[in-house]
Amino acid sequence: MLRFPDGAGVLRCTLLAFRSPGLLVLTIQRTGHYYLDRRNRGGWKLAVLGLKIFLAFARWLALIIAKSDVDARTVIAGGVYLSDAGHLIIGPHSIGKGTLIHERVTIGVSAAGAGPPTIGENVWIGPDCVVYGDSRLGNGVTVLPGTVLSMSVPDNAVVGGNPGGIVRFDFDNSQLRRSLAYNINRESLAFL
Amino acid sequence: MTSFLQASRADLNRCLDENATSMWSKLQAVRRNEGLQAVLVYRFGRMLDSKKKHVLLWPLAAVGWGVYALAALVMRRGYGIKVSLSADIGAGFWIGHFGGIEVLNCRLAERCSVGQQTKVGRAEQIDGPEIGHSVWIGAHARIFGPVKVGAHATIAPGARVTKDVPSHSLIVGDPGRIVSRRYDNSHILPRI
Repeated sequence: MLRFPDGAGVLRCTLLAFRSPGLLVLTIQRTGHYYLDRRNRGGWKLAVLGLKIFLAFARWLALIIAKSDVDARTVIAGGVYLSDAGHLIIGPHSIGKGTLIHERVTIGVSAAGAGPPTIGENVWIGPDCVVYGDSRLGNGVTVLPGTVLSMSVPDNAVVGGNPGGIVRFDFDNSQLRRSLAYNINRESLAFL
Repeated sequence: MTSFLQASRADLNRCLDENATSMWSKLQAVRRNEGLQAVLVYRFGRMLDSKKKHVLLWPLAAVGWGVYALAALVMRRGYGIKVSLSADIGAGFWIGHFGGIEVLNCRLAERCSVGQQTKVGRAEQIDGPEIGHSVWIGAHARIFGPVKVGAHATIAPGARVTKDVPSHSLIVGDPGRIVSRRYDNSHILPRI
């Protein structure tokens, strides 16, 4: 896990989880997802009602603390990092494991009517990005800061610009995903 | 200049369904839409501002300004929606989502829509943008300086408007480029 420094004990990890707005938003989203699942299966009426009331407050908490709104219908895999600086309005169809999303990112449906995008595994999304429309980001895609994207992207590609386009194919973003810094240095992206 | 009540009713109608008329559905709409709360606070502030000449109302207005200051603080710091009283906004204003929204020193006509992370006007520029009616401003869009945006224009997510925009056009990209001059945005406005 990216958030936890090597050798951090259980106590330190728990404290960090409470202090980190990104983890808070993720926890609330997972609770909301569980609620929808539980409601659709039926039964457990009282527990479902209690969860609903709790989620109404939890959504407000995520709004005030992180200014984030993550759609409860989204299927989020494990090991996803959401930025602590918040301002995330994201509601894709699904997010794959190992994805890293920085602050002020909007992912969602197009106002013109297209459905939500699907985010693959190990995707790196920089700050100030907008991804909308019925598109698919492949595994290992790097979305450069400030990109506005509404088209599908193949695996391991780098996208950038506004309106967005593919800058490069076959780029390994594991170096980027290892740190939380988003000011990309020229050495790691020599082609820019 | 429409009155406070007329303008607020038009704002509320933008967030309501076609056949929802009961008081309960209206209250639910206010509870669910943070943008609507911010717009109503703005309307209240403008109403107080317009009553400045009435000396007999000053004791009442003092209480009103206190309430407004507190509510505006919550909207600004809690929700990240900054709708300044220096903006002149027509009836039927709609704010989608929350976070990083700044609307100041500008004129918006009726039935405009604004997404999250949108910046319209600057604090240091008194002569801000003038925006026509039924204009859709997408998420992360920026409109600065004394530009004129025509009626029914559509500003795509992430676009930056630097020049005058004719009516019924679609602006995309940074710097903004007119992609279409006959774009019908009636289907993306939440409610006309």
